[in-house]
Amino acid sequence: MADQSRMTLLQLSRLWRRGVLLACLLLAVPAWSADILLTAAEDGAGVQAFTQALAQQRPDDQVSFTPLKDLPAPSQLPAGTRLILLDLPSLDWRLLDTQGPPTLVLRISRLQARQRLGNTHPAKISLLWSDPPLERQLRLIADTLPQARRIGVLYGADSEFLLRELIRFATPLGLEIVPQLWDNTSDSRPLQTLFKNSDVLLGLDDPQLYNPKTVKNLLLSSYAQQLPLIGPNAGFVRAGSLASTYSDQPDWLAVLDRLLDHPPANWPHTLYPQHFKVVGNPQVARSLGIEQVDETAVAARLAEGEKRP
Amino acid sequence: MLLCSLPALADDLFLDSQPLPQVLTATRLKQSAAAVPGSMTVIDSELIKASGARDIAELLRLVPGMMVGYTTGNQASVNYHGTSASDARRMQVLIDGRSVYRAGLATVDWSDIPVAMEDIERIEVFRGPNTVSYGANALMAVVNILTRSPANSQGSRVKVTRGERGINDFYASQGVGWETGDLRLSLSGQQDDGFDSDAVGADRRDGRRLNRFSLAVSQTLNAQQSIDWQLNAKEGTNQRPYTYTPVFDGISEGGSNSDVIAKDYAGSLRWNFEFNPDHSLYIQGSAQQWDRRQVWKACDAKVSFSPQLTQLWQLNPNYAELLARHMDTYSQGSPPPGSAAEQALANQVLDQWKNHGGKDTVCGDIDQSTRESRYDVEIQDTFSLSDSLRLVSGMNYRYDRADSDTYFNGTLDDTTWRLFGHLEWRASEHWLLQGGAMYEDSHLSGDSLTPRVAVNYLINPRHGLRAVYSEAIRSPDMFENNVNWSYRVNNLSSPAYGQNSGQYFVVTRGPGDLDKELMRSRELGYNGFFADLGLNVDVKLIYDEITDMISSPLRNNQYIASNANSSRFTGAESQFDWRMSNADRLRLTYAYVDATSSNPRDKAQTARNSGSAGWLREWGQGWSSALFYYGDDALNQYRFQRVDLRVAKRIAVGKTNVELAGMLQQRLDDQPTTWADNNYDHRHVLYFSAELDF
Repeated sequence: MADQSRMTLLQLSRLWRRGVLLACLLLAVPAWSADILLTAAEDGAGVQAFTQALAQQRPDDQVSFTPLKDLPAPSQLPAGTRLILLDLPSLDWRLLDTQGPPTLVLRISRLQARQRLGNTHPAKISLLWSDPPLERQLRLIADTLPQARRIGVLYGADSEFLLRELIRFATPLGLEIVPQLWDNTSDSRPLQTLFKNSDVLLGLDDPQLYNPKTVKNLLLSSYAQQLPLIGPNAGFVRAGSLASTYSDQPDWLAVLDRLLDHPPANWPHTLYPQHFKVVGNPQVARSLGIEQVDETAVAARLAEGEKRP
Repeated sequence: MLLCSLPALADDLFLDSQPLPQVLTATRLKQSAAAVPGSMTVIDSELIKASGARDIAELLRLVPGMMVGYTTGNQASVNYHGTSASDARRMQVLIDGRSVYRAGLATVDWSDIPVAMEDIERIEVFRGPNTVSYGANALMAVVNILTRSPANSQGSRVKVTRGERGINDFYASQGVGWETGDLRLSLSGQQDDGFDSDAVGADRRDGRRLNRFSLAVSQTLNAQQSIDWQLNAKEGTNQRPYTYTPVFDGISEGGSNSDVIAKDYAGSLRWNFEFNPDHSLYIQGSAQQWDRRQVWKACDAKVSFSPQLTQLWQLNPNYAELLARHMDTYSQGSPPPGSAAEQALANQVLDQWKNHGGKDTVCGDIDQSTRESRYDVEIQDTFSLSDSLRLVSGMNYRYDRADSDTYFNGTLDDTTWRLFGHLEWRASEHWLLQGGAMYEDSHLSGDSLTPRVAVNYLINPRHGLRAVYSEAIRSPDMFENNVNWSYRVNNLSSPAYGQNSGQYFVVTRGPGDLDKELMRSRELGYNGFFADLGLNVDVKLIYDEITDMISSPLRNNQYIASNANSSRFTGAESQFDWRMSNADRLRLTYAYVDATSSNPRDKAQTARNSGSAGWLREWGQGWSSALFYYGDDALNQYRFQRVDLRVAKRIAVGKTNVELAGMLQQRLDDQPTTWADNNYDHRHVLYFSAELDF
C-alpha cells in the first residue's frame, strides 16, 4: 500500500509536471508560433513580397502562401490556422463555409463588402478596410484647406450608403457635405452642378465613379473650376488629385502585427488601419495656389487627432 | 520625379494598381493667379450668365481698363486703354486659340464673331502686351474666348430672349457623347434694332439680324493623342445708314441704305500629343473667311467719273478737291491757280461740267464688298525640363488674303512666319522668372524681334508681386499700308464718258513702306487671394508707350498714314472679387488711365476713370439676382453710366431645368453712346429670357 501510495505520489508529480508543461505549451503556442496562411486567387510579385515581409515581421510564426485553387474547403483547415485573405475571390471561397479558421480579410473596401455581405457580419471574419477612412479624409481637408466649408461629394447607387456616415463625421468638423448623385458617368452635367456649390471635392472610393475612363474629365473639369479633389485614393493623387491618406504595405504589416498578437476572439469585425501616410501632389498644389502638403507633418497631425477622439 | 514616394511603391500590394493616366501634368497645369506674368481678368460662366449680356463686347465692360463703345448699334468698338476710334486694331482676339482679327481690314467685328454667348465657358483677358504668347497683334491686350468643351455640353438646351428695342434671340444646342468623344451642335440667332435716333433725331439705321451654326467635336484617339475640331458659320445683315453724300452740289437722288450682308466661316483642327507627363505638343490648323457684301446706290454728277478729273486728283488732290467743291465759281479758261498741267486738266473738266452734261445726275451701284481669308498653322511644344523649369516654344505660319475692288483694287495677300519661345523658371519657392521672345517675319512688313521679361515674387502661394517689362510690335495691316482705295460705280443709269461703269476720281493709296508700331510696357502689380475672406485682389500700375504709331483714321480722301505719332498711357487698375458667402459675390473693378498722345484722336477713346461693380446673390428656392453698375467718364467726350438688374428663377422638374429671367438696363445719364448719332429714345430697356435645359 505504501509503495502504491508512493507510486501514486510519483505519478501525481509526474502528471503535474506534464500538466504544467502542457499548460505552458498550450498557453505559449499562440504567442510563440502560429500557422498563418495567406491566400489569393492570383499569385504575383506583390503577393510574394508581402508574404515574405510578413514572415520576416513574425519570425516565430509559420507564414505561408497557398493559392486559392490548392486549398480545401475552409472548414477542413486546422482550426488553429490564422487565415489572411488577399482578394475578393478568396473571400467568396471563405464565405462558402460558416465554419473555418479565424480570418483577416485585406484589400477590401467598404463598397465591396457591402456588395458581397450586405449588412451581415459573418462570424470569425474580420474585414480590414482598404479605402481611406472618411473621417481621416475629412480631417485631411480641414488640415490642408482650412477655408473649405462645402465638401462636394459625388456618389452612385453603390456608394450612397456612405453619405450618412460622412455627414456624421463632417458636422463636428464644421464641414458641410454637398452630395451629388452621378448615376451616368457619360453625362457630366451633375459635375458642373456640384462644382458650382463646392469649395473642395472629396472622392469616395467608388470605382463606378472614379476609374481610368472618368479620371480625365473629372480632373480636367474640376481643375478648370480651380477646385481641388481630395482622394479617393493614392493612385488618384498621381493622376492629379491634390492629396489623400493611404496605407501601404509597411502600414498594413504593422496593423497585422498587432492583430496577430491578440487572440482571434479579440479581433474586431471591421477595422480601418490606424497606420497610414499622406500623399500630396505638389504641382497641383502650386497651380491652385495652395501651400505644398507636408506629407509627414500632416500625417502626424492627423494621427495625433485620431488618438484624442 | 515629383511624387517620389509613389512610383517606389508601385509594386505595393496595397496601393491601387488601377493604371490611371496622369491627367494634370506639368504641361497641362497653369500658373496660379499670383504667379501669372502679367495681369489677367477671367470672366467666368457665372459672371457671363449673371451679366445678362447679349454680346461679348458688353461683357468686356467687366475688365478694368477696357474701353467699350459703339460706332453704331451693331459695331462695338472695344479697346484696352484707348487709341483707335473704331477698331480693335491693337488687341488680339482669339476663340479657342483662333484669331478672329480680320485679315485685311484690321478690325474685330464683335457682332459677327460666330460664337453664341451660351457656348462660352469663360473669357480670359490678358491685360497688357503679350506678342510672345499670342502673336503680333497682341499689342495692348489679348481677349481669349474659350468655349464650353463638348464633354461639358451634354443634353439639350433651348433659350429664347425677347424684349424692347426689337430684341429677339434664340439658342439651341445638343450635346452627345460616345465612348471616345463628345460633340456639341448649336444654332443661335440674334436680332435687334440698334440705336433709335441719330444726332438730329432721325431714325438710326443700325439694327442687325444674324444666325449662327457651330459644331465642336473632341475625340480621343488613344492614351497619348486627341483631336478637337470645330466648324462655325454665321450669316446676317448689319444695317448701315445711307451716308453717301454727293461730291457735287445739286444732286438730290440717292439710296436708302448701305446695309452689309456679313457671312463668316471658320474651321479649325487641333491635334494634341502627350509624349509623357513632361512633354506635350499640339498642331492647330485653321481656315477662316469673312465675307462682307455691301452694295449701295450712289448718285452724283456725271463729271465725277471724268478721266481728266481722276488724272488731276492723281497730280494734286488738293487742287482737284478745290476745283470739285467750287465748280460753279470757276469757268472754263479761268481755273483755280496752279501749274500749267493742272490748269489744262481743270479746263477740260470745267468744259465737261458746263457744256457736256457734266452736271447731270448719274446713278449706279457702289460695291464696297470684301472677302478676306486666313489660313493658319501653329505648332506649340510644352516641355517641362524639370520641376522648376518649363519651356513653351513653337512656330506659326499664316497666310492672309484680302479681296476687295474698293480697298485693294483686286487681291492682296501676305504671309507671316513666327517663332516663339517662353521659359518659366521657378528659381525658388518665392522667386519666379519668366521670359521669352518672338521673331516674326511678314512678307509685307519685314521682320522683328520682341522680348518679354517678368519677375514674380510670391510672398506665399496666394500672394504675389510682379514686375513686367515687355515689348510688342504691331505690323501695319494691309489696309493701313497697302490700301488702294477707290470707288467704282457699276450699272450706271446713263453711260458716262463712254462706259457703263465709272471710277471715282478720288483714289487713296497706302504708303506701302510703313514701319511697325512699337509698344514698350512696364507694369508693377500685386495679386492676392485672401482665402479666409474669399477675396481676390489684383492691383497694378502701368506705364505704356507706343512709338512709331500709325494713328491716322481709316478714311477715304487724303489718307496719309505715317509712323509719326506716339501715345503714352499711365495709370492704375484694380479688381476685387469677393465671395462674401456661399450666396453672395461682390465684384469691383476700377481703372484710372491717363493718356497722352501726339494725335488728339488717339486719346479721345480713353476714359480717365472707368469701372464696374457687381453684386450676385442666390436668394434660395431657385431665385437669384445680379446687379451691375458700369461707368466711365468721357469716352469720346460722352459719359456712360448704366445699372443692370437681372432677376432669375430656376425651376427643376425632374431632370429638366427651366430658368426664367428678366433683365433691366437703366442708363443713369442722358448722353449719346460714344458718338452723337447713337441715341436711345428711352433710358431703359427690358428683356426677358426663358431657358430649358434637359
